Amino acid sequence: MTLQHPIVAENLSRHFGDLKAVDGINLSVSEGEIFGFLGPNGAGKSTVVRMLTTLLRPTSGTARVAGFDVVKQADSVRRSIGVALQDAAIDPLMTGTELLQLQAVLYGIPANKMKSRAGELLERVGLTAAGDRRVGTYSGGMRRRLDLALSLIHQPTVLFLDEPTAGLDPMSRIALWDEVRRLNSEGTTVMLTTQYLEEADQLADRIAIIDKGQIVREGQPRVLKSSVGVPTLIVNVSKEQLEVATAVLVTFGEIRPTGDNAVGVGLRQGAQAVTDVVRKLDEAGVRVSHLELNEPSLDDVFAEATGHRLEGETQ
Amino acid sequence: MTVAIATRQTVALTKRSTLAILRQPVLIVPSLVFPLFFAALSASSFSKTTRLPGFPKVDSFLQFTLASTVIQGVLFGSITGAAALATDIEGGFFDRLLAAPTARTGILIGNLMGSALFGAAQSAIFVFALLPFGVRVEAGLLGIGAMIISGGLIALGISSLMSAVAIRTGSAEAVQGAFPLLFVLLFFSSVFFPRQTMHGTYKTIATINPISYLVEGIRSLVLDGFSGLAIAQAILIPIGICVLGFVLALTELRRRLGAR
Amino acid sequence: MNTSSMAVTSNGDEDESSTIRSSWGLAVRGLRNIRRLPSAFVPAMLMPVFTTIAFSGTFAAITELPNFPTSRSVNWFMPLGICFGSAFAGVGLGFSAIRDIETGFYDRLRMSPTSRWSLIIGPLIAAWSRAILICVFVISLGFVLGVRFTAGVTGVATLVAASLGIATICLGWGLGLAFRFRDMRGAALMQLSMFVALYLTPAQVPLPLTTGWLHAVARINPVTNILRLARQGLVSKSSVDSLSWANTWGGLVAILGMSILALIFAKRGLAKLDK
Repeated sequence: MTLQHPIVAENLSRHFGDLKAVDGINLSVSEGEIFGFLGPNGAGKSTVVRMLTTLLRPTSGTARVAGFDVVKQADSVRRSIGVALQDAAIDPLMTGTELLQLQAVLYGIPANKMKSRAGELLERVGLTAAGDRRVGTYSGGMRRRLDLALSLIHQPTVLFLDEPTAGLDPMSRIALWDEVRRLNSEGTTVMLTTQYLEEADQLADRIAIIDKGQIVREGQPRVLKSSVGVPTLIVNVSKEQLEVATAVLVTFGEIRPTGDNAVGVGLRQGAQAVTDVVRKLDEAGVRVSHLELNEPSLDDVFAEATGHRLEGETQ
Repeated sequence: MTVAIATRQTVALTKRSTLAILRQPVLIVPSLVFPLFFAALSASSFSKTTRLPGFPKVDSFLQFTLASTVIQGVLFGSITGAAALATDIEGGFFDRLLAAPTARTGILIGNLMGSALFGAAQSAIFVFALLPFGVRVEAGLLGIGAMIISGGLIALGISSLMSAVAIRTGSAEAVQGAFPLLFVLLFFSSVFFPRQTMHGTYKTIATINPISYLVEGIRSLVLDGFSGLAIAQAILIPIGICVLGFVLALTELRRRLGAR
Repeated sequence: MNTSSMAVTSNGDEDESSTIRSSWGLAVRGLRNIRRLPSAFVPAMLMPVFTTIAFSGTFAAITELPNFPTSRSVNWFMPLGICFGSAFAGVGLGFSAIRDIETGFYDRLRMSPTSRWSLIIGPLIAAWSRAILICVFVISLGFVLGVRFTAGVTGVATLVAASLGIATICLGWGLGLAFRFRDMRGAALMQLSMFVALYLTPAQVPLPLTTGWLHAVARINPVTNILRLARQGLVSKSSVDSLSWANTWGGLVAILGMSILALIFAKRGLAKLDK
């Protein structure tokens, strides 16, 4: 049985006293998608995730996850989703295996399958050797991997990852991304909250940006980025050929400032114009020593949507 | 360094440590309310025990229990000051003080004076809280004065001992962990019931526990009146604890400074 | 769109068995922590030992009071120690719940599709196990100190029943406060209220020997009945407080009533966590 939109929120709001933490948002995540949910601290990201994962009741509006209402059918939602939590909340006194087995019991995995399932998952996240060690002795990356394994115990169709790589070293981060891609390729719909724009750019098919409790942008990263401007092509040539190269490039868009012995141009037609540029330069006899295409970044999108930059604030 | 400067510094630190206690009602209220609650509780529980053989001559159990209330309240209250010192050590404030050209003893006394003043205030509050319920202090105003001084000295002594723990471990948790030890010291003495009514090993332990003599001194001021022996017990024992505590705390302080 | 109502409607038996399994899984975790976090349990174990020894030593002479129901002060104070220890065992799991809420581990439990009752029954089983451990330990020590059960094995049984009852009440109360306060203020309140409830009884001397306000309060405090239940197997057979149905049923009713209220308080608190 498949659902076209495993996560749907309509007019979802959550107020804490006078504070409108989430203020009437609408969301729709398609099946098989990796959906990136971006926003600075305190923008309402976690509040949205807590509502979608049945931890917090909405003040108004509705949300359906895996086809079930998060308030009225909370139990069915819980059976369908896996959640890896922001700070990898795991009991430091338990071992990895014990935690997985407890999770299996709580999710009603039959006793005869419990051990094998726990073993499989430990292997999947590369923790087999550490399975009998207390979680308190794990490194940050190991905790995240265990957290992911825990969220997969019942083979959920929808996976929520709340800041899955916050505080991880680059290697661990890339390993976790690979695992998320693998899960997604197996058909799991993923909703990923993150403050790392690169993470969203790398993983997400579609993103939404939340600011002050409201969704301010939504769409594919590529489309969002091209909406804020065209990519810049930077061509390095020898000093003598600068003038010729500039004459060629100006036909593709406006010339942009760059360093010495290089010409920059904002490509009106986007990245697909690059092959034409190269051909024309070749025809004009220009020898290109280096070529670089700079896309507008999600940070540019973010800055345009919210009026402030995310990157640098948090990293 | 002149004595005047050292005094000024000590006074400044005294002020700080006193305010630190007054600003934490969460810590003050229990150390005033609990002892009074237990006084009321035991007055109702044990009112008929005053006729037991070996029980001293009293008007009421409440009169007997006044000394218990003072000791119990002051002992528990003095944890506060030492815990604050440990927090200062954890937070680095203590190191800043030590780095300043301040007299070591001054720092220590200043930090503990808050506890001492609070202990004296507790004694006064307990005495005046129980007076309306028919408790008579036979030694009169002079006796009450002695009890207040005794309360201050007990607090100073216990908190100096606890400070030695705080300076050695630098952890507020370790100081709190010493709390049950005080409980044990308190119970294995004649604080709650007369030593004359106890038997066997328990009586032997209570007899060698200095807290017994301390409380019996204060109790004698309440029950029997003013006497040299009572004053000696109520004042000299806490002074002894103070001396021991300061020697230990200063030794630990030197060790801490020498270790770097 | 026929989105699986299949997953929801499993039959009743299965639900029940999964509640039991989940409860057991959570109880095992609570028990394991006795060994792995001894600093949380050892005080709960030492406290009744200390109460037994210190009270029976300090107040040894009270057994000489007219009509005192036993001549051994350990007989009188050991049940009190066990009741205090059992109360600690109960609220101790309330402390664990606060720790879990603060670390976020509790979110994980709440997100699982297990029945909400198992999140309460699990800790309850752990509290009972701890109370039993306390009973075994303290009663054994009591024998060394000269405790005599005047009513034999039945007296042991009524003492254990009182211990389990108090553990249940304090667990419900502790969890309920943990879910409402979600930080260490809850823990302070748990301890405080537990102490007051246990002391506003004939904790130290029998009810007829208490006077004034305490007599009035202890008479109506249901915990008085539970203490009577705990002590009846240890007082002398000639005493009115000795083992009898009359001294039993009041305690059982108090345990049942207070347990139900406390567990409902906990369950409601759990439901409030998502508010």
